[in-house]
Amino acid sequence: MPPLLDVQNLQTHFGTIDGVVRAVEGVSFHINAGETVGVVGESGCGKSVTAMSILRLIQTPPGKILFQGRDLLELSEPEMQAIRGKDISMIFQEPMTSLNPVLTVGRQIGETVVLHEGLSAREAEQRAVEMLTLVGIPAPGRRVREYPHQLSGGMRQRVMIAMALACSPQLLVADEPTTALDVTIQAQILELMRDLKTRVGAAIMLITHDLGVVAEMAQRVIVMYAGRKVEEGTVEEIFLNPLHPYTRGLMGAMPKLGSSLHETGRTKLTEIQGQVPSLRKPIIGCAFASRCPGVTDVCRKIAPAIEQKAPAHWVACHYAERAMAAA
Amino acid sequence: MLAYTVRRVIATIPVMLIVALFVFSLLYIAPGDPAAIIAGDQATPDDVERIRASLGLDRPFLIRFTEWLFRVMQGDLGVSIFTNLPVSHMIKQRLEPTYSLMLLTLIIALTFAIPMGVLAAWKQGTWIDRLVMVFAVLGFSVPVFVVGYVLAYTFALQLDWFPVQGYTPIGTSFTGWLSNLMLPAVALGGAFIALIARITRATMLEVLSQDYVRTAKAKGVGQGAILFVHALKNAAVPIITIIGIGFAGLIGGAVVTESVFAIPGVGRLVVDAILRRDYPVIQGVVLMFSFTYVIVNLIVDLLYTVFDPRIRY
Ligand SMILES: Nc1ncnc2c1ncn2[C@@H]1O[C@H](COP(=O)(O)OP(=O)(O)OP(=O)(O)O)[C@@H](O)[C@H]1O
Ligand SMILES: [Mg+2]
Repeated sequence: MPPLLDVQNLQTHFGTIDGVVRAVEGVSFHINAGETVGVVGESGCGKSVTAMSILRLIQTPPGKILFQGRDLLELSEPEMQAIRGKDISMIFQEPMTSLNPVLTVGRQIGETVVLHEGLSAREAEQRAVEMLTLVGIPAPGRRVREYPHQLSGGMRQRVMIAMALACSPQLLVADEPTTALDVTIQAQILELMRDLKTRVGAAIMLITHDLGVVAEMAQRVIVMYAGRKVEEGTVEEIFLNPLHPYTRGLMGAMPKLGSSLHETGRTKLTEIQGQVPSLRKPIIGCAFASRCPGVTDVCRKIAPAIEQKAPAHWVACHYAERAMAAA
Repeated sequence: MLAYTVRRVIATIPVMLIVALFVFSLLYIAPGDPAAIIAGDQATPDDVERIRASLGLDRPFLIRFTEWLFRVMQGDLGVSIFTNLPVSHMIKQRLEPTYSLMLLTLIIALTFAIPMGVLAAWKQGTWIDRLVMVFAVLGFSVPVFVVGYVLAYTFALQLDWFPVQGYTPIGTSFTGWLSNLMLPAVALGGAFIALIARITRATMLEVLSQDYVRTAKAKGVGQGAILFVHALKNAAVPIITIIGIGFAGLIGGAVVTESVFAIPGVGRLVVDAILRRDYPVIQGVVLMFSFTYVIVNLIVDLLYTVFDPRIRY
């Protein structure tokens, strides 16, 4: 069966006054129906740009984005509008600013079903109440008539989730859905997303800084660096046997064999020495070369291709074999 | 909401008092001795003194102000020095043309300026945007009387689409009313349209870069609804604020426009009164315009809460 989403060689560049920013440089990946895929990487590596390219919230980049077999990059704007919020929906990082301050919560949730399912305003409000109940907001009948400023950050993110799931999408793109929230609320929101995923059956593209979140939520992981995919694999492969020096750097220390995923879980991305290369110039050789502890002349000259190293494990490093032998 | 309204209404009272004090002092600030002017060139100093006494000009300021204020609050604005008619009566007769002109100008300005500003912001940097901005600069810099004469010459004299001047009461004929006021309202509206279009564009530009606009787009909301529902409602507060402030310019412009198009309104009345130093009339009209301005801004204050739920009652 073909994957639900198949991104092929996505290249999102921005023309700015001081040159072209190569935010996403030839990224390919896929997401199967019902699957949760984690996307991790440092700030500025192109996670959000990839997500927004899929929904075409930024100008159409070259490449292919096949969704249920259709190339989203070739659709007209009205066709794309019919897909946004219905088949693919998105949750944003900032719950405090992502809701419209002058429209009621009910209106904002209901708008999706009015647009995509042709419900009347009254039916839409009904649905909004149902959705608020589903995401665990108390007194939903009263809350639908309230405005975002009357809700806490955690509640607003629940509203965002309610809005995103109102039309039961096939794919939910969640861009750091819990980063702005405090820890207890984070756990609640993740719990909610996992719970809803089993009910609605949506696939999730989960963008995060938090490796713990990936370990808890995802089946597969994509590691991005400087606009490129550097490693991809199942959660077990990536956590127990990371092959790319960048991925290892992210984890701070190699997890010991046999340790449970949950022990490695709560580790945030640790700082890696050195600077991310500028995206304004083409990068020659491996993008990670300038920060890699095991860098050689080959790395500085030739960009490594992404290769399959295990049944469910791909990596772009000239010395992946060395890492495998060491493990 | 009711408490808020009451509080806003009460807050206008000190403003009105200060306005009244200013209007009353006009007589003392302005150059020339009204008693001497009324008396005319041939008058003896005795005559002037007599007139001064009859006007009450010889009594203490504060006493006269208090007396005057009480009369004003009862709707008595005094008697015109020239026509000997009650000022309130003279103003009342001329309110309809003036308010009609302002209302029509406001309607025309809003229907054009807001879509123009929204369009310019949406198409930022394109020729549409530049066209709107050029118009905004022109509308701002060309005086009302120039626009007025050009419009009257082109559309009334040459093309004969509208009457050159005059006024038809709305009760007599709606179409007559409209065709009489169309050119004056367009002339008067130019600067107002420019002002509102500019502020709409600037505010919309800021709103369109907000996260919630991206959220709306990600939900599948169409461009029109994004602009006119999601964004414009957020831009409403600065826009109605500028409408309130710009209303002062509209009042000044109405006086000029009424002269250009010979509309028998309050503006004409006050121009004549100024030429004759008819102080009671001047005071009455200034008071009436100030009152209108305060009421418009009260309405603006109340509208804030309609557009932005975050503004506390
Ligand atoms: N509209 C734009 N114009 C120019 N450059 C942009 C634009 N949007 C993003 N970029 C650049 O693209 C790069 C990738 O940004 P992106 O937001 O995808 O990073 P990210 O991985 O989501 O980071 P974070 O974890 O901080 O959210 C950054 O260097 C950013 O400066
Ligand atoms: Mg991001």
